[in-house]
Amino acid sequence: MTRDEIFAKVVEIVKPFVKNEDALAAVTDDTNILEDLKVNSARLVDIILNFEDEFDIEVEDEDADAVNTVGDAVALILEKLS
Amino acid sequence: MTPLPLRSRVAHILQREVGRLSAIFWVLPITFILHVLMGYHIKDAAQVRTRYRALVKESGRPLLICPNHLTMMDSAVIAWALGGSWWYLFHYSRIPWNIPEYNNFASQWPTRIGAWLTKCIPVIRGGRREDISRVIKRVQHLLSRGETALIFPEAGRSRSGRVEADTVAHAVGRILTSVPGCQPLCVYLRGDRQRTWSTVPARGDSFYIDFEVVEPVSDHSGMRRSRDFSQQILDRLVGMEEEYFAGR
Repeated sequence: MTRDEIFAKVVEIVKPFVKNEDALAAVTDDTNILEDLKVNSARLVDIILNFEDEFDIEVEDEDADAVNTVGDAVALILEKLS
Repeated sequence: MTPLPLRSRVAHILQREVGRLSAIFWVLPITFILHVLMGYHIKDAAQVRTRYRALVKESGRPLLICPNHLTMMDSAVIAWALGGSWWYLFHYSRIPWNIPEYNNFASQWPTRIGAWLTKCIPVIRGGRREDISRVIKRVQHLLSRGETALIFPEAGRSRSGRVEADTVAHAVGRILTSVPGCQPLCVYLRGDRQRTWSTVPARGDSFYIDFEVVEPVSDHSGMRRSRDFSQQILDRLVGMEEEYFAGR
């Protein structure tokens, strides 16, 4: 799976939790999931668990601490897949 | 569990010991405020405290108190209800470390000092992941030393006035899965006049309190295991709430 494909999947997974649709329309690696997309912080765990299901990976709590932006999420998934 | 940096460990020792030395100057006044000024009353307080003290004595394990959340004074009322002020003066490590919202309890320097003295580790809810993680690591460290902490498993005060099982806070499970032997204690607290959420309970309110040790289990690992643990704690609180209303 290419980085672009992972990015697209990540955006698709995050989408149902997003409250700022404008920020989602202009999403980049640097888009902050909580601050820019206005995802509820309690829902970030659901998003990461959805990453686990979608990409068949396992994420530890401490790995998830590094996920602030969409790019961070993509990097984590790439790392877990490698 | 990642060990805390030396600086953080020293900061904890300082906070704990200054709090301990000054405990008589804040434990008793807080009790005075709750009991005399606010007129709060704990139903069957003697029985509750006997049960709690016996539990603490028998288990000897680190205790993570996981209560329902309706007011900003819940943690103070719960600590008072479970231990009683005089007992805490002689069992200081059993005063729960509390994780209040920074903007409510520590944004001004007088309240920040008060929070520091009274075993609080403020956190900005919804803040940066690294900052929240740092607070969680501090709580993990304290529990691994056999201390007691209190964290609300709901993501905030319940707007409906009932335990909201779909607003689970992940930190509870994360702590439980990372601290060996840590024992979760579900606590259900409710004032007779508490209809929904509020800043403080009504003056003169009378509180029902019940608690129960639970042992969460999960076949999963990683974050999913932590989530399972958090959810089971919250589900038990829902059950305790149903028992409360059924018994009214």
